[in-house]
Order: sequence, then structure tokens, then C-alpha cells
Amino acid sequence: MSDVSWPTGVEPVVPIPGYPNTWTHTPQRPAIARAPGRTELAAPPGIARKLGVGTVNLAERVPGKPAIGQLIEISGRILDEDGRPIAGAVVELWQANAAGRYAHPIDQALAPLDPNFEGHGRILTDADGRYAFFTVKPGAYAVPVQETWWRPPHLHFSVFGPSCLSRLVTQMYFPGDPLNALDRILCSIPDAAAQQRMIARMAPPAAVGDRYLGFSHDIVLRGRNATPEG
Amino acid sequence: MFPTSQQTIGPFFPRGFIADADNDLTRVTAKAKPTKRGETILLRGTVTQQGGKPCVNAILECWQADAAGRFAAVDAEADPDFIGWGRTFTDVTGAYEFRTVLPGGFTDGTGTRAPHANLTVLGSGLMRRVLTTVFFADAAGDPVLGSVPAGLRPLLLAREDGKDGKLRVFRFDIRLRGEGETPFFDL
Repeated sequence: MSDVSWPTGVEPVVPIPGYPNTWTHTPQRPAIARAPGRTELAAPPGIARKLGVGTVNLAERVPGKPAIGQLIEISGRILDEDGRPIAGAVVELWQANAAGRYAHPIDQALAPLDPNFEGHGRILTDADGRYAFFTVKPGAYAVPVQETWWRPPHLHFSVFGPSCLSRLVTQMYFPGDPLNALDRILCSIPDAAAQQRMIARMAPPAAVGDRYLGFSHDIVLRGRNATPEG
Repeated sequence: MFPTSQQTIGPFFPRGFIADADNDLTRVTAKAKPTKRGETILLRGTVTQQGGKPCVNAILECWQADAAGRFAAVDAEADPDFIGWGRTFTDVTGAYEFRTVLPGGFTDGTGTRAPHANLTVLGSGLMRRVLTTVFFADAAGDPVLGSVPAGLRPLLLAREDGKDGKLRVFRFDIRLRGEGETPFFDL
């Protein structure tokens, strides 16, 4: 099973002090090891068709009605553990608006909603495993828990790779934000290098130009040996 | 390269990501006709946390073989009108529903598999997704069920729960933590 388990320190350590929901939602029993069979290794070929893909510009969904905030492009590649690009992966991104509020009925924060920002998009990676979204940089926000906790600006990513094993949900952070080192979710990853791999790199502004700031972020899916047997 | 770390989905997975037919495994798109093969059923249940409180806006993804036990990815004879994958979210009571077909069993490298569907749950407070398997009928001999301590196996069996219209309803409740905790798998 070593080919499918995660390296030490890469997975979050749970439950997390100061994040009360992890103490009521994290299973107490360890996960049971099972040999990956056809159900675990295969995946439906038609997820992109089922879900629909194509929303890449979150910052201006309706032409002429731009969202408020710092305009950014986030781009990168979806890779496997051998560094090979994964073409045709479905990539979902969602985030808070520039004020740190989600356009979601459950988010009752005081920060204002932006009528021109819904904050989610879904695309397919190209032949080089590339994805790119235009959006605005999300704001930080306070989590409604007893011990004060501000989430740093972050983007949520959900990726469907070629097999059920390679399904990944993660978050991406921005370089240099002082809240990163205080974030209970980012810091639940014990390995410092693994934490760094969740922080995007800023593209050199001279190479990107005057219209927006560029950030690059690669995501590595697991499941090296997940080729389904026939 | 090392895989990117998992992080929680958080409480705010967008409603805009979930369209009407996403929880319907019997059709390949919302506009497609449902498959005619197999018995269409409803899989219903709740997702609860420690103490039995409902998990609200938890995301469930369901994945299974077609009525003949085939997967399109590896079998050219698989049902072309059945996608076998769906996604939904839990409501304020923690309830979810999938519309699917009763899956067929099959034999693979792990042994003879009883009819089952794999479920993954993502939610606030869950830093890593959890994975489980629901069995629909007499599943004795299934190698995955066999890897579960005997006393916990009943927790993985769907319970037949009457009919909704013409469709049989199967019930499978998921307890993330605490008393009656659902058995979860590593992959």
C-alpha cells in the first residue's frame, strides 16, 4: 500500500486546537486499509460533461460589471507524482470576495457582499495540464470561534484527476501574508516544505504587465499507480 | 514529487457548483435521458457529527458500477447512459439523496465484489475527505467488507426503507465521529 499512502507530514494533523469543528467531525477510529479494487481505481470519464466547465473569469462574469478588488490571474499546472501534467482534469475554484465574505447563504459575516462577484469557477486543464482563472484577491476573515482566528486570504481548489484516488480538495495561500503563519488550517500540515507548496508564487510583474498581478501555483495529485486494471 | 496536502472544504462550498441533476447517477447530463438498464433506486441518509448533530452543507460524492457491475473507464460494454457518479450537499437536517441504479457485483483483482457504492464526504471540520462503502444486499464474502471488524460491518449495510412512488428507497446514515461511527477507508 506504500504506493498510495501519503508521505509523513503532508497530511493535516487532526483534530486541530482552536478549530472546534474538527473535534466533532474527525473520525476517532483510524481509516481501515483496503486493497484498491476497480471501484477505487476507476473514475467516470464524463465528469466534465456532467458538471459543465468553462467559467474562468470570476472577476468580470458579466462584461462591464467588474467585481471590486485586486485583479489577479492564478494559473498553474496539475501534475502527477512523477511531475507529468494531467490533461483534462476538472479544476474547481471558490473563494471569498475582496472583503472576506462568501456569496453563500451560510456565511453571515458582517463584511459586504459584492453583487458582481459569485466567487466560483470550473475549468478543464489543457494538454499541458494547465489551468488559469482571473479573479480578485480574496480578503481575510475572522472565523466565528471563541479564540480569535483570522483566515488568511486563500483560494479553495477541488480537483478531479484520472482516478478516484487522485481526487484532491485543498487550499492555496498568498506569499508573504503575515496571517499564514497563524492560520490553524495551513499550520495543521506538519511538514514545512509541504506548507510552502500550498503557497503560490507571485509572477514577476514585469513579465505580467499592467493589467493584473499574476500568481502561479502547481498542484500535485496522488495515485501514481492508480491505473485501473481491465 | 510530493502530493499537495489536503485541506478542509470549509462550510461554504458554492451552491452554484451543484446543479439539479448532479445527484442523479442515472443520467450522464441533466438533459440526458436516464438509463433504462437496471432498477432505479433512491439512496437516502443523513450525515451527522459527534452527538448526532446534523452536518449542514457537507458534500457527498457517490461512485459505483452500473447495474451489470461494469465501469465505463475499463469496460467497453458498460452502460453508456449511466455515469455512475453524482454529487450533492446535505440540507439543514443533514439529509442527502442520490438517485441511482442498484449496482451489480463484479470480480476484480481484490476478489468477488458484492453490489456496493463508494461514498466520499467532505465538510467543515473534516480536514481530509473520508471514504466509505455502502452495501446493498447480502454482502458476505466481499473483500472490502471483510476487511472491516465484524462488529462494525452492519454499519455499512444500506437498509431498505419502503418506496417513494415506484422506487425502492435505501437508507444509509453516516456518523462522522462518536457513537455509531461509520467505518471509513484509507482510499
